[in-house]
Amino acid sequence: MILIKCPYCGERDQSEFANGGEAHVIRPKNPESLSDKDWGEYVFYRNNPKGIFYERWVHSHGCKKWFNAIRNTSTDQILKVYKVSEKRPDLSEFKNTLKSPSGEPPVGSGNFSVKK
Amino acid sequence: MSAINNKCEYISKNQIKITFDGKTYSAFEGDTIASALLRNNIRLVGRSFKYHRPRGIYTCGIEEPNALVQIISEHNEPNTRATIKRIYDGMEITSQNRWPSLRYDFGAINNILSPIFSAGFYYKTFMGPKGFWKNLYEPLIRRSAGLGKPPKNFRSKSTHQYHNSDIVIIGAGLSGLAAAKKFINTKYKVLLIEQDSYLGGVLKNSNKVKTINGLTPQEWISETEELILNSKNITILKNTLVTTYNFTNHLIALEDKFAGKKIDLNKSELTLHKIRTSNTIITNGHIERFISFRNNDLPGVMLASSFEKYIHRYGVVPEKEPVIFTNNSSSLSLLKKLISLGCKPKAYVDSRKKDNIETEIKKILKDKEIPFFSDAEIEGCDGNKKVETITIRQGKSFNKLKSSMLCVSGGYNPDIHLFTQSKGLVKWDKNILSFKPDTPFQKTITLGSTSGNYNFKKLCDEINEKLSIFKTKKVSLDINLNVPNKFSIKELWETKKKNNSNWSKSFIDLHNDVTTKDLKQAITEGFDRIEHLKRYTTNSMGTDQGKISSINSLAIVSKILKKEISEVGTTTYRPPYAPLSFAAIAGRSTYEFYDPERKTSIHSWHLKNNAVFEDVGQWKRPWYFKASENETMHQAVQRESKMLRENAGILDGSTLGKIEIKGRDALEFMNLMYTNAFSKMKPMTSRYAMMLGEDGMIKDDGIICKISDQHFIATTTSSGAPKVLADMEEYLQTEWPHLQVYLNSITEQFSTFNISGPKTREIMMKVFPDIDFSNDAFPFMTFKNFDYKETKIRIMRASFTGELGYEIYIPPKFGLELWEEIFSCGKEFNLIPYGTETMHLLRAEKGYIVIGQETDGTVTPIDLNYNWMIGKNKKDFIGKRSLSRPDTSREDRKQLVGLSPINKKDIIEEGQHIVELNELPKKIKNPIKYLGHVSSGYHSPNLNHSIGLAMIRGGKNLLGQKFFVTATGKTKNIPVEIVNPVFIDPENKRLTS
Ligand SMILES: [Zn+2]
Repeated sequence: MILIKCPYCGERDQSEFANGGEAHVIRPKNPESLSDKDWGEYVFYRNNPKGIFYERWVHSHGCKKWFNAIRNTSTDQILKVYKVSEKRPDLSEFKNTLKSPSGEPPVGSGNFSVKK
Repeated sequence: MSAINNKCEYISKNQIKITFDGKTYSAFEGDTIASALLRNNIRLVGRSFKYHRPRGIYTCGIEEPNALVQIISEHNEPNTRATIKRIYDGMEITSQNRWPSLRYDFGAINNILSPIFSAGFYYKTFMGPKGFWKNLYEPLIRRSAGLGKPPKNFRSKSTHQYHNSDIVIIGAGLSGLAAAKKFINTKYKVLLIEQDSYLGGVLKNSNKVKTINGLTPQEWISETEELILNSKNITILKNTLVTTYNFTNHLIALEDKFAGKKIDLNKSELTLHKIRTSNTIITNGHIERFISFRNNDLPGVMLASSFEKYIHRYGVVPEKEPVIFTNNSSSLSLLKKLISLGCKPKAYVDSRKKDNIETEIKKILKDKEIPFFSDAEIEGCDGNKKVETITIRQGKSFNKLKSSMLCVSGGYNPDIHLFTQSKGLVKWDKNILSFKPDTPFQKTITLGSTSGNYNFKKLCDEINEKLSIFKTKKVSLDINLNVPNKFSIKELWETKKKNNSNWSKSFIDLHNDVTTKDLKQAITEGFDRIEHLKRYTTNSMGTDQGKISSINSLAIVSKILKKEISEVGTTTYRPPYAPLSFAAIAGRSTYEFYDPERKTSIHSWHLKNNAVFEDVGQWKRPWYFKASENETMHQAVQRESKMLRENAGILDGSTLGKIEIKGRDALEFMNLMYTNAFSKMKPMTSRYAMMLGEDGMIKDDGIICKISDQHFIATTTSSGAPKVLADMEEYLQTEWPHLQVYLNSITEQFSTFNISGPKTREIMMKVFPDIDFSNDAFPFMTFKNFDYKETKIRIMRASFTGELGYEIYIPPKFGLELWEEIFSCGKEFNLIPYGTETMHLLRAEKGYIVIGQETDGTVTPIDLNYNWMIGKNKKDFIGKRSLSRPDTSREDRKQLVGLSPINKKDIIEEGQHIVELNELPKKIKNPIKYLGHVSSGYHSPNLNHSIGLAMIRGGKNLLGQKFFVTATGKTKNIPVEIVNPVFIDPENKRLTS
């Protein structure tokens, strides 16, 4: 059960929120002008990385506002929350938390419990 | 062999009575079930999980693997740990997993058959033939393996409580109390949580500490507790066990509100505490581990510190002359305690070399003339349902002693369970031969033996140093000990066996009956990864989670694999720390509180008129109305359907979702959300509309009322309303924030009645004499607002039955009154109430679809032949682009058709397949070509035969062709003709009449 900081309400329990998948996937302005492949990519394809992930959340049992969050999917740490209207934050802000290409951190992923 | 009752300051003098397996015993208030049984010389308390071997009390705490009992007097609560459950007068207890009785257990034959029950037994034995699992194996295993019986007629009253604190201290033993002292009268909000009914931990469980700051342990505890209680910022929770340590310092703890008391059925018996904290201090100590040897499970074998705890905490000396077997220095305190009581151990067996054994131990043994075996071990023990003889190996010589109890100490493990749950990393410590906390992932601090510090003298510095971040006053602890300050241990996990027999076993997991042989076998079979090995052998998977044995198994495995223990690693520690009852998790969300029931304003009328209800989402909707006691559902629905098409019927449609859409850009928004084009639609008209997903598949449907370009009201399906509103909100916020549109759920602001049938107009004219219902004044798919008595109503001309119909919207406050008025006016026209089943039948006759019945998330409007609903000239709407994707525009997609049986007596069943064969082969060898499925099937009283709606591949081009529909329990299929799905009034004459 993680704590999520709604940009409008503050820190609240995870159970008040719903996850909306990858963020910054913008609905094409002119769908008809897109090829079947490009439209298919928009509708069906999403990233699912281990590590840093830009994703959408909605405070569904609260203010009902949508917002974005950057979460390390291997540890569930939320590094930043920001409003939908805000720019996509640059990854360089979180240099210190990116330990390996796969995003596996030295502690917190739950994949091992003994210190190497 | 007999226990002695010793003076004990922690036990009350009040004698109470309990029953165990039907017999009554005396004990004292404050006793646990285990201490009460030991007080009465009862050693045999249960049968083991797999082999049904006799088992006794092994420990004195939460780590107990064997002594699980059923509490009859508490709604038959099973699998209760006898070692922690406190008794009260009149408590009824039975043993578990035995038949017909504990002493003569039929299942014990499993022990003789044990060679076939070795590692992976379930996986190897219960394979095929098909059907055997369900009919034979599973019921057999369920009867013979397992633990207690589930409770019956059980209604728990547990509650949940939330906390927000700065610091949580888990465990109020010596380190926990000392840590709490640092926060007395500070700015920090502190929760001190203790599993036991009083504070003190090791100080009350053992003889190890002589004095603290010049006070006896008990004096120091009382003084400290007093100070804490007077400090307003610290709260103590007793009888509360922290079971779960989640991410972001979220803890779950379970409080037993009736520890040692009979449950009051009118009060909450358990409280589940949900705690958010900034910092967590874990001081829940350590757990003693056992050693594997031959028959190390016999009743009478007990952990040494547990034996000491029974003496110290409960005033029970389970046996005056036990044998002590140890590999470390800590057993000195038990030895001293026994001597001080005038008891004399039968023998002291220490696996350490004589030179490494503390001088004090050697001196006592010599002075008291206690047989002393150094550099020795227990080979095994024997006896009938109890320990009778104990065999000691020293070098090559064997000594057989008579004794009924054997106290074992294999060392101590820091209790790292919660620390690893918090995702902290642990490290192997060679000095204590155990894992200890190393790198925390969250704001977690471990102190004392939890952190692997077994040195009492260093505790004070550790606390002051690790808690210095809080900038509070230093604590001082001047501790005098009864045991050596330096902990010394020799590695020993399993002793050597002299001979082998099927009966004699060396256990590694007492709870799940896993032997050391099973570990070896599993590795031989290739399960050499610890997580695989655990699942294959079920080692440490019992309700005790291997608390006294899991580190031992890692050590044994690492020896076989010739690896370091840290290389082998541990299995993942998962919550809960100890079993957490579902009742506690459920809290008040049970029975009628599990999910709210939503009722319409007409509900009381439905009840009075014999409605049978159907659940639609959370709504209670009339399914059908019983005209007489004996009327079946089929009869009722046939009657309702026929009566409506002849006269008129009324449906309570209040559950339909209603969303108000308002704002400058409402029109543009509606054009984007729905397939239909709303621009040219006139104000005060309505339209049947569909909402798609971006994949082009139908999500929901409903009627859209346009009041103006800036104001719409959308109806949705009863269960789809929240999702439709959420989807609209999502698009507004994330994709089209530039649109000025406001959404509002108004489902519960209106009662809605759907009245339809050929006599409807006459009824409406009688109810509302001032309103002109003529076709010209009130055409199909228009709506109007009217004043009605002291309120306002909206009437829309629409129908879901295919007959002339109106929908009336009225504030719920006036709903019932109007509903009754309609009935009194409709009486002369034979107006009937009807339910959802008749609604479904009538709409099927008319060929109208139902979301979730004809559609299943893979159906487009084109598949339904609803091309007329698609606003082709619109530049964009949700899902539009997907309708021209190659897969979505395929000609051979499943499409909506009607089915009519060729033999009019045949019944078309919902969910059946449509095939080309008139008969199915007796044995199906090759797949049969499948054309589609029946999505709706009803007997139409108006056509007097069965009809169906179906989704069939390329169905649009199959009109007039004959196929077959499968039937339940028959190989002969039903011949059907593919027809237009509109069975009644295809010209819509009735709708517009
Ligand atoms: Zn919010």
